[in-house]
Amino acid sequence: MSANSGIVDILKKVFFIDLIKGLSLTFKYNVSKTITIRYPDEEKWIPYQRFRGLHTLNRDSQGRELCVACELCSKACPTKCITVIPMEDNTGIGITDRVAQVYEINLVRCMFCGLCEDACPTTAVRMGREYELACFSLDCAKADKHRLLAPIEIPAEFEGGYVVKAKLERNKEGIRVRPDLTKKKRWW
Amino acid sequence: MDINTLIEVALITVKVILVSSILFALPIPLTWIERKVAGHIQLRLGPFRVGWHGILQPIADMIKLMFKEDIIPDKADKWLFKLAPIISLVPIFLTFATVPVGDKITVLGREITLYISDMNVGILYILAVAGIGVYGLIFGGWASNSKYALLGSMRSSAQMISYELALSFAAIGVVMVSNSLSLVDIVNSQKVSTWNICYQPLGFIIFIIAGLAEINRIPFDLSEDEGTLAAGYHVEYSSMRFSFFMLAEYVAMVLMSVLAVILFFGGWSGHAILPPIVWFLIKVSAFIYFFMWVRFTFPRYRYDQLMTIGWKILLPLSLVNILITGLFVI
Amino acid sequence: MELIFFYIFAIVALASAIAVISIRNPVHSAIFLMVCFLQVAALFVLLRSPFLAAVQIFVYVGAVMVLFLFAVLILDLGRERFGEYLHHQSPIAIIVVVGLIFVIGLGLARGKLDAPLGKYTEAELVKNIEVTGELLYTKYVFPFEVISLLLLVAMVGAIVLVMKERK
Ligand code: SF4
Ligand code: SF4
Repeated sequence: MSANSGIVDILKKVFFIDLIKGLSLTFKYNVSKTITIRYPDEEKWIPYQRFRGLHTLNRDSQGRELCVACELCSKACPTKCITVIPMEDNTGIGITDRVAQVYEINLVRCMFCGLCEDACPTTAVRMGREYELACFSLDCAKADKHRLLAPIEIPAEFEGGYVVKAKLERNKEGIRVRPDLTKKKRWW
Repeated sequence: MDINTLIEVALITVKVILVSSILFALPIPLTWIERKVAGHIQLRLGPFRVGWHGILQPIADMIKLMFKEDIIPDKADKWLFKLAPIISLVPIFLTFATVPVGDKITVLGREITLYISDMNVGILYILAVAGIGVYGLIFGGWASNSKYALLGSMRSSAQMISYELALSFAAIGVVMVSNSLSLVDIVNSQKVSTWNICYQPLGFIIFIIAGLAEINRIPFDLSEDEGTLAAGYHVEYSSMRFSFFMLAEYVAMVLMSVLAVILFFGGWSGHAILPPIVWFLIKVSAFIYFFMWVRFTFPRYRYDQLMTIGWKILLPLSLVNILITGLFVI
Repeated sequence: MELIFFYIFAIVALASAIAVISIRNPVHSAIFLMVCFLQVAALFVLLRSPFLAAVQIFVYVGAVMVLFLFAVLILDLGRERFGEYLHHQSPIAIIVVVGLIFVIGLGLARGKLDAPLGKYTEAELVKNIEVTGELLYTKYVFPFEVISLLLLVAMVGAIVLVMKERK
């Protein structure tokens, strides 16, 4: 057995078997498809639904704000980055007569743990799938109510985990990558 | 001086200028190709942003290198520090004086040879002059007055001594089969019979391994071992001086590919469907790809392994190769 | 034309040879030795012997000098310590050099150092690898073998010295 394997070893060395194995493997990689996601120029990664990105404030089916300004989220937040100031309102923008006058999340301090989401009794605050939060000034580090209530780009029903075609847009407010959700493919 | 001599002189001048400008320009596509090969082997794309598929990346790199600050260490041997990149660059360019890329072509009724000069000691000249290039590494490392650089240059000098023997002995086998030291004759002898690789498989393997070591490429690039020596002999260099070393390295890689093709793969001989020069270029590019492929496949050898391979395996094997060839030739 | 080149090469060779022994920095003098070897190689080309020129570059510039530099790099001969290695040898050296110059001059003056071109034409001489090889293995086979033996002895001696040190 040992003598046999010794001969095999020598033969392997003489004919560079291991080296050729390595070379053929790398050659296979060389001609196979690459796994690079060409973000931001051409492609964008759409995360799964469980992803914890920028928060969203939601509305019910009649378009009323779900948030009742109970401040539970701000209490639950470990970094104390949510500011909620309630106000009376009976014009019907909220589901009750108590709505948030100010609802602001300091994104610089937020660590995207999702505890606010768990604490909310009305499922008003949810973690979204927006992850391009970089910008040129500190203003955008604060997400106010208006921004959080704005409709989101990727519908909540859209199942994530895809690389989709995207377009890079530059304008004064900054750079955005607009995904085209119809052209999707699985990554890897 | 009659008109014919003048034309000859003009022709040689044109050829020299052409060859050296091609060699100067070569690293531009080669760096791009190397990075592309590296990328795709590692399932990446490689450079992609400057121009179509990143094709202008080398030019961007070149501009960047030119505008970088040229740093000379305070304690360096200034004179030698400036000289070293030139020493490493010039010999490798000189070798191409005798590298043929084809036989003769006839233009306007005048025979033009596709080489600058056909020396009758061609292969010996190439190996000898290419050997001078290592001084660039040695002086560069020593003059930098830095530990890493000095270690790199010591490694490269020891490596060079150990592998040049095996390299030349492997070439001697070819010389014995072809019965000439001239590169043109070697190619022509392969046209008559088959390519030398059929007679000299062992010689070819030794030549390629020793060649990899001679041109300081992975798996034998111990003199610029990034892992342990930062960048080895050129760790203190920046800007254009650094790019001279890079240029020399790429031209050396091309030289090794050209030599392998000429010595073992019949130079420009090939099927008549393509012109000879195209055959030559195809073969050379295949070798260049092979060198890149090897670079991104194998890890680096340890220094003692390097010495063992050189002295205890390659050198005896190359002697055996000469012995066997001798038996067959006689 | 040829004479001009001869003088260029010869003068550079001499100047660099002088530089080798007068410069204190060992690495710098190694460079000048290299330059000197290269000039000698060029002189060989002028003498219609490209083979010898290539061998000169290959062996002396390519291998011997690399080894020499390797030793210099390892030993780290400082500029200051360079003096101690000359053990009052200068008087003897001067006598030997003067004697050597005298002998060579005498030979030159008497015309004893001119070698005849021999039976070969110039074209044959340029393609002189075969000629050199043949002569080495026929007429000069004895000195050739003696030199090989000498080198072998030197190599064995070096190995023995190293082995002893290890024990
Ligand atoms: S995700 Fe965590 S840190 Fe961020 S606001 Fe919600 S609770 Fe606070
Ligand atoms: S988001 Fe939910 S938890 Fe936070 S204040 Fe509104 S209702 Fe309360």
